[in-house]
Parts: sequence; structure tokens; C-alpha cells
Amino acid sequence: MCCNENFKERAEGEKIASVLDLSDIRGMKFFDPHIHMTSRTTDDYQAMADAGIVALIEPAFWLGQPRTFVGSFLDYYSSLLGWERFRASQFGIKHYCTIGLNSREANNEKLAAEVMEILPLFIYKEGVVGIGEIGFDDQTPAEDKYFRLQLELAKEANLPVQIHTPHRDKKKGTQRSMDIALEHGLSPSAVIVDHNNEETVKEVLDRGFWAAFTIYPFTKMGNERMVELVKQYGSERIMINSAADWGISDPLAVPKSAALMKRSGISLEDIELVTYRNALNAFAQSGQIDESDFMTVKTVDQGQKYEHNSILRGGQQPRIDKNSIIIS
Amino acid sequence: MSLITTGGKTEIENLLLVIIKREVKADAFLWLESKLDAIKSEDNSLQLRMLFAQIPRFTGKQIVNLKAAELTVINALLPGYTLQGWTLERLCRVWVLMQIPRENKMSYLKKINELFESAEMNEQVALYSALPILAYPEEWIFRCEEGIRSNIGLVLEAIMYHNPYPAYFLSEGSWNQMILKAFFTEKNVNYIIGLQERVNERLATALNDYIEERLAAHRTVNEEIYKLLV
Repeated sequence: MCCNENFKERAEGEKIASVLDLSDIRGMKFFDPHIHMTSRTTDDYQAMADAGIVALIEPAFWLGQPRTFVGSFLDYYSSLLGWERFRASQFGIKHYCTIGLNSREANNEKLAAEVMEILPLFIYKEGVVGIGEIGFDDQTPAEDKYFRLQLELAKEANLPVQIHTPHRDKKKGTQRSMDIALEHGLSPSAVIVDHNNEETVKEVLDRGFWAAFTIYPFTKMGNERMVELVKQYGSERIMINSAADWGISDPLAVPKSAALMKRSGISLEDIELVTYRNALNAFAQSGQIDESDFMTVKTVDQGQKYEHNSILRGGQQPRIDKNSIIIS
Repeated sequence: MSLITTGGKTEIENLLLVIIKREVKADAFLWLESKLDAIKSEDNSLQLRMLFAQIPRFTGKQIVNLKAAELTVINALLPGYTLQGWTLERLCRVWVLMQIPRENKMSYLKKINELFESAEMNEQVALYSALPILAYPEEWIFRCEEGIRSNIGLVLEAIMYHNPYPAYFLSEGSWNQMILKAFFTEKNVNYIIGLQERVNERLATALNDYIEERLAAHRTVNEEIYKLLV
């Protein structure tokens, strides 16, 4: 969950019209373990499928403005497990999610308590691969309380945890999140610490946690910096994601970064680990990910019609020529 | 008003149990059985909802193998209804729905409604598949109408395909919506039970308008529509 306040920097940027060339990574497959599809369009799904994204995880997050009724959370969780999952399947993308109460809204204590009561109804559902994204925003006592309660829930349900680390006071917030996870008896191997940067990554890896990086323009991590980090730290327990949402972000951040890594001389094995395999292994600890599903995901609507036509896998939605001015 | 007698429901329940025992791994069945006491004795629906959600974790999602005799029995009890092509998870979920105590109507309705409210895609499929065999069938008309508004293909098919509930319980208006939606979403209308029996004038008018719209837009028209214009 992100917000992008660098409006001036963006507005001053040149308007560049160029064509994206991902030929370097053609045929590779990618897993984006953090992306908020609920705020993205079908064009994004199409582009993601074309770029080789076969599976994604949508963490439950803040929707840009605070919810005021527990029913809004119930419907949001249901939409992650229903409509959004179906939408993804129409593009041949396997959709998983993590379910949790985000840190910002943990600060509305009355509502937070009500949300805690409905979480057990959702975390055991099919395709829920973790509790997330949870952690700290302002690092208030209320955030602390609901972070801990949800860690207990994760332990009980035997699910991995996807930790959002704060934008402000990041280093301390990251350390504190890890301390608390250990204090509650979670194994670092079941915890994915997200939104790392150069300042946080070493300790996260040294302590045995998974280190996720969000490739997000202007605010989080750029992919040239990411290339340097992979060169320095290797590929063990490192994964990248786009965290694309309603801010200026990029749903192709994972495949684009793979292309950049390849050009920068990083081995294909390392690229595969960082853009696919590590995320899969980390979240497969939920018991809810079957890699063979990525290959067989099909639309329920059109899949039956196209069942025996493998050419259409990954593009079951009718294709339109976006460069044509004719819309029929 | 009921599609099936209480005795018929018991027969279906027993048959489902036979199939489940044969198809589900022994440890998964033990797990399922061990949860039944809790869902039968609780006042709220917490255990039920958690059980309902977790079923595929234990049963898997393979397609159920059925014997010809079993299909015949089902079809005799609920003409047109079939378990063919069902996943094991769907079958077990429908059977679990039949284990919910139904003596207290308010409590029963509340529990089923709460399942609907937090149901993900495959749970919705099981719930809508179970419409003909739920207790108090006339209470699910609104749910059925709501399901028809869904845009999720699997959910629509659970209501439209081989399901005798809509033809038996829906008002003319809702029935017509379902048929129009079936054509709009390119469903195979031959799987709809009661398609010919519930032909009506308003539906014919709406379908005629639809045909004209399609033709005006130079789009194709499904040949099946013309059979409903009588």
C-alpha cells in the first residue's frame, strides 16, 4: 500500500511515446507476489499475461480511504476471493490472496475488533496463501496490538505472514516487525518482509526472513537499484513484486526487472528465483499453491469452449487490436 | 411447495454419503466426520463456516467418479439434476449443507445466509447447486435471483445448468432475466431445465428485441433463441 506524493517530479517528466520491448524475456514465466488488482484494469491483466505473468498474490490492503463498517471488509475479502479471482482467470492468470487487517485501519479500534472476528471466516478459504499485508504504518499501540493478534492467527492457521514495512521510520519499523514475529514464535522462514531497501535488506536476510522488494516508481525501489542488490546479495530468499495499486505504479514491474537483470548479466537461474521460484516456495508453505495450476488455469466461462485449444491459454478474453481506431 | 419430498432428500443424502465414502480418502473423511458434532450443536455458524471453507484442503478437487446407477437414482428423485462433472469438494460441501439442523427455521435460514455472505467462488457454486435440496426452498428465491446477477461464469452455470430450482420457484420476471442472461453470457441453454415449459409471451418479446438489437449491430444470433419465440 503506497502513496505517491511526488507530484511535481512526475509532472515535470517528459512525455515519452515509445514501445515496450520485452523480447529478452520471452518464454519466461513470472509470479508477482504482491499486486492490488482490484485497482487495475483489464488492459493490465492482458499486458501481464502477455509479459509472462502466470500467477499473482493480491494482499488485502487499505483502499485509499478508511472503511467505516465491518461489512465493507467482508465484501472486500469476498471480492478478492470471488470476482477478482475470476477476472484473473479470464486472462489465464492464477490469482491468490493474503487476508488481513492493514496497519492504517488497525487504528480504528472499534472497527478493528470487529474485523478480527470475521478474519477466521476467510483465512481458511481456498487460495488464501497467507495473512497479509499486516505490520506497521505509524507504529502506534493499536497497530502493535492488531499486528500481534494477527500473528497469532497465522500461527494457529499455519499460514505464512506478509509484512508491510512502514514508509516512515522504516528501518526501526522493520526491525520491530521482525522482533515481534519472533517473539510470537513464528519461524522466519514463514515470514515475508516486504518493501525492503538497501538499508533494511541485510538484517532481514541475516535473521533468516524472506526479503521482498517492491519495484515502484519514485517512492520505493527502482529496478536499477534492484539489479545492484541482486548482484550484492544473490538470489537466496529474495523476491520482487510490483505492489501495483491505484498510485502510479507498474503491473509489469516484475517482467521488466527480469529483462533488466538479464541485460545486466545476472544469471537466468538467479532471475528465475527472484521473479518466480522464491515467491512460490515462500507462499506454498500455506499448502494452497499448486504450481501445476498455473498451467491449467482457465476461464470458467470460455474455458469450456476453448478447453482443447491450448493456443488460447493465457488469452481467453477475446483479443482486440488496441492500435486500431475501429471498435466493433 | 417443494421439488422433492423429505424422503427423497434423505435418499439423496444417503447416496451422497455412499459416494463420499468411496471417493474421499479415509483420513479426509474422518476429518469431515469429526467436524459434524460441532456444526450440529453450535448456535451461531462459526464452525460451519470454517468447515465449509476448509473442505477442499482435505478432499481435493478431483472430479467425482459416479456409477450409472447413481446417476439414475438422482435423476429419478430430482429430474434433470445431476452430479456429473462435480468436484469432490462440491459434493462434500453440498452434503455438509444437508447436515445443518433444520428444526429451528430462523436459525437454519441465518446459517445458510451467512454462508452465502462470505462465500468465495467455489463455495457459491456449492450453495447454488444445493438450492433444490435445501430446507425451506421458497426462502432461497432472493438468493437465486441474486446469483443470476453474478458475472462469474461458474456461479451462473451452477444455477442455470441441470438445476431444477429456477424453473420451479422463480417468478416469470426472474425466470425471464435468467434466460436473457444465459443468452447474453453465451451459455449452453440446452442445459437449462424447464426452458421450453416456461416459454412465455413477455420472454418472447424481450428475446425478439434482443434479436433485433443483435442484427442491427451486425452480430450473430444464437439459433436456440428462435425456439423460444412461440
